[in-house]
Amino acid sequence: MTDQHTKAWFGRHVEGCMNSLYGLAFRLTRNAADAEDLVGDAVVKAWSALATLDDTERFRAWLFRILHNCFISDYRKKSVRPVELAFEELASDESEDDVSSYLVGQSDDFLQWWANPEREFANTMLGEKIIEAIDLLPDAFRITVVLVNVEGLSYDEAAEVLGVPPGTVRSRMKRGRTMLQKELWLYGKEAGLIPDNAGLKVTK
Amino acid sequence: MSKETDKHEVEDIDCIEAVNLLYAYMDGEIDDKETKAKYEHHLAHCRSCYSRMELEKALTDRIKAAAKASAPEKLQNKLRKLIDNF
Repeated sequence: MTDQHTKAWFGRHVEGCMNSLYGLAFRLTRNAADAEDLVGDAVVKAWSALATLDDTERFRAWLFRILHNCFISDYRKKSVRPVELAFEELASDESEDDVSSYLVGQSDDFLQWWANPEREFANTMLGEKIIEAIDLLPDAFRITVVLVNVEGLSYDEAAEVLGVPPGTVRSRMKRGRTMLQKELWLYGKEAGLIPDNAGLKVTK
Repeated sequence: MSKETDKHEVEDIDCIEAVNLLYAYMDGEIDDKETKAKYEHHLAHCRSCYSRMELEKALTDRIKAAAKASAPEKLQNKLRKLIDNF
């Protein structure tokens, strides 16, 4: 392929995943201007590292990985957000725990609701509250939930993007979802979307 | 052996085991057919786990819809110019 052809090919593929790339960057940075800069940095790095792309079919995941690495290194460089430390601690201290272990220590009313939720709860939740709850997740969990839930990556693909074993992705998905639901449940209680006796089985 | 007989022979699992399989099932990450069949068998018999699955599905759809983003026009133009100059 000539340079012009390579450039055209690269441009088409970047264009094809631009919305996903921006969406991922936006959820990571939680800021439109930073997200745009992050996407720009990732595209520049991707072009200069194009020779490392082994399988052109996996362009999207490869570009996600570069964006994720840019995010991590940028964080380190700027040291703006102390959450970064938590990202590394969490990433190095994860095992394939089960969901029930994440529920241990939660309040009884949350557990009762968790065991018997109403489907309507998800439908009545405001989209902006869902976004707020996602943005409250620690970085490591937020990016995993976005890659799998929003971008539809498999655990193996997400693991490749994040540079972690698939078991870590599985574990983060469990914990991330449980944290997300706790946050939404708290909001639902405050907003009156969940009645006080929700989850309780009443027998006559 | 008929399919009907197979169904009856699926071993049941308890709710704790079902809860621990829930997310892997939802994400299409259970490769083992037997495990998948056990989970589905449990769902068919347990209202609580079925409700949880229904909520998880609805929530996943909502998360997907809420978090989808469109790249701003100016970013798209910036990237096109950037790539042109490579």
